[in-house]
Amino acid sequence: MSFDTVAVIGGGPGGLRAAHGIAEIGGTALLIEERDFLGGTPIAENYAGLTPHGEPARPQIQAMIDAVTASPGVQVLTSTVVTAVSGEPGAFTLTMRGPDGERQAECGAIIMATGFGHFDPGRETQMYGYYEFPDVITLSDLESMLSDHKVVRPSNGEPPKRVCFVQCVGSRDRHIGNEYCSKVCCGVASKEAIEVRQLVPDSKVYIFYIDMRMYGYWENEIYWPAQEKHHVQYVKGIISEVLAKGDRLLVRGEDTTMGRPMELEMDMVVLSVGMEPSPGTKKMARLLGVQQNKYGFVDAVKVPLDTVTTSREGVFACGAALGPADLEDTVSSAANAAMKAIAYLRSRAAAAAS
Amino acid sequence: MTQTDTGPGAPAEADARLKLSAAAGYADVPLAEKERLFDEVRADPRFGDYLYGCYECGICVAVCPSARFYDFSPRRIAQAAAREDAELVYQQMVEDIWECSQCFSCVRCPRGNNPGGLVTIMREVAINNGLASAKEALVGYSRIIYKIMSTGTQVSPDMLQEDAFPDWGPETADVSVNLDLWRRALPPETLHTTNTGWKVADSTLIELYLIWLHTGALDMIADVDPSLHAILTEVMEERLEEEGIEI
Repeated sequence: MSFDTVAVIGGGPGGLRAAHGIAEIGGTALLIEERDFLGGTPIAENYAGLTPHGEPARPQIQAMIDAVTASPGVQVLTSTVVTAVSGEPGAFTLTMRGPDGERQAECGAIIMATGFGHFDPGRETQMYGYYEFPDVITLSDLESMLSDHKVVRPSNGEPPKRVCFVQCVGSRDRHIGNEYCSKVCCGVASKEAIEVRQLVPDSKVYIFYIDMRMYGYWENEIYWPAQEKHHVQYVKGIISEVLAKGDRLLVRGEDTTMGRPMELEMDMVVLSVGMEPSPGTKKMARLLGVQQNKYGFVDAVKVPLDTVTTSREGVFACGAALGPADLEDTVSSAANAAMKAIAYLRSRAAAAAS
Repeated sequence: MTQTDTGPGAPAEADARLKLSAAAGYADVPLAEKERLFDEVRADPRFGDYLYGCYECGICVAVCPSARFYDFSPRRIAQAAAREDAELVYQQMVEDIWECSQCFSCVRCPRGNNPGGLVTIMREVAINNGLASAKEALVGYSRIIYKIMSTGTQVSPDMLQEDAFPDWGPETADVSVNLDLWRRALPPETLHTTNTGWKVADSTLIELYLIWLHTGALDMIADVDPSLHAILTEVMEERLEEEGIEI
């Protein structure tokens, strides 16, 4: 390793794309992943299909992993965390702790691809009983069921007849402190709702929402088919609480466009939990000394036209480390970060030579 | 035919907490009957072209003339059907659908829905099933139906009485005083009539009557207004006899 290496921290879709991108344009990358496997959240949380089109997640992510591990320009370190950074832009030294103990590596630039974590629906003021009722689950819990092609109520193993999604759990909430929109949950919930309707055809599926944010082609590729072809019921109004009623769940809210309060019995309630910065994002941001916003995401300081440059020279960030992002955003900003990092190293080298 | 509807009634006695369904009322009508009627609406071949999915954006209400004067909302019509809410669809078939003027302004829906078309289907189902609301709504039209079927024209000059058409203004009263004179002042002789819109040949009248008879229009009138049907039958039987036509 040397100062013409780019260190990529995080081996999810963003980190994989960045590392592969660096290799593709002739650079060398050091990919550092805390977990003992690559692939990030889609693999860790057993995603079924990728939004929007629902291609099976595992083979798609595996192809990214294979591209990286097959690149001579990329060195991969798993089960490894960065514990310190020293030096200066263009000549950093990373201290890492891994399976073989502590080690150091030199790099000229760093890309943070440290991603997000899902909001913990047991936190704060949530009244949804996630830790109380087995049939209250999250988007990622359901995603995991979908990848096994088996949607059942955790309480009794029966297919649910009535399922509802509650949007904006942990997002757009001043009390919780996450005022932002998590951007992907509307699309993911709608995609999952379609899959539930397909796997349990006699089920009735509701989505309770504040606004449906199905930007771009998600509108006609997910939202319209969910409503028109799969008869998913979209009701504008957020659920205030989930209660037990017999062996079912009672959800309470307002059907705002109909102007009436409602209480409906459900077999399963799916909480559309939003995105928060992962512990790794917060920790690495502090360690690298980059500016974070009030939520803990990394600030891209030159937005809107430069989405990956951070407050610290030589340090770039991509994907959900920067804020809520879907996979398309993530791989796009990752490729952008790869390009910026290599351009940074080359411009320094050119300046040194002249 | 099942007589199902009871007119706008007291709030349902169903579980007060389950307001989504109980809000519709008509608890005395079995849910199965409401679902049967809704299934009939959905089975209509036009249904799929009239309802895709509803944004609940309200553009249909914004352009709806009826919504300005009545407690009528084409959005709610589309929503109730989209949500497969048989209770609410039933309520609308009893209370709402007769307030639509069928102008189809609502087709400017960005999703391509046609709430007015849904109302058309719901009206047909209401009539075919003899819902009391259909009869009530058609009572106002019985005079016009009688006029068309017995004379071959719709609105006749002598129907334009001030009490029946207050919205036509004070001139209605002035004109009705010397109606015959006003009519004879019109150049075409065929318009010198007061109890028909214009002169209609007997053969035309017979032809129209036979069309109504064979298309089942008369049966529908028999359903919703038996006394009107009886009068019409009597009047027309006489005419048919005069023309030597046997049915």
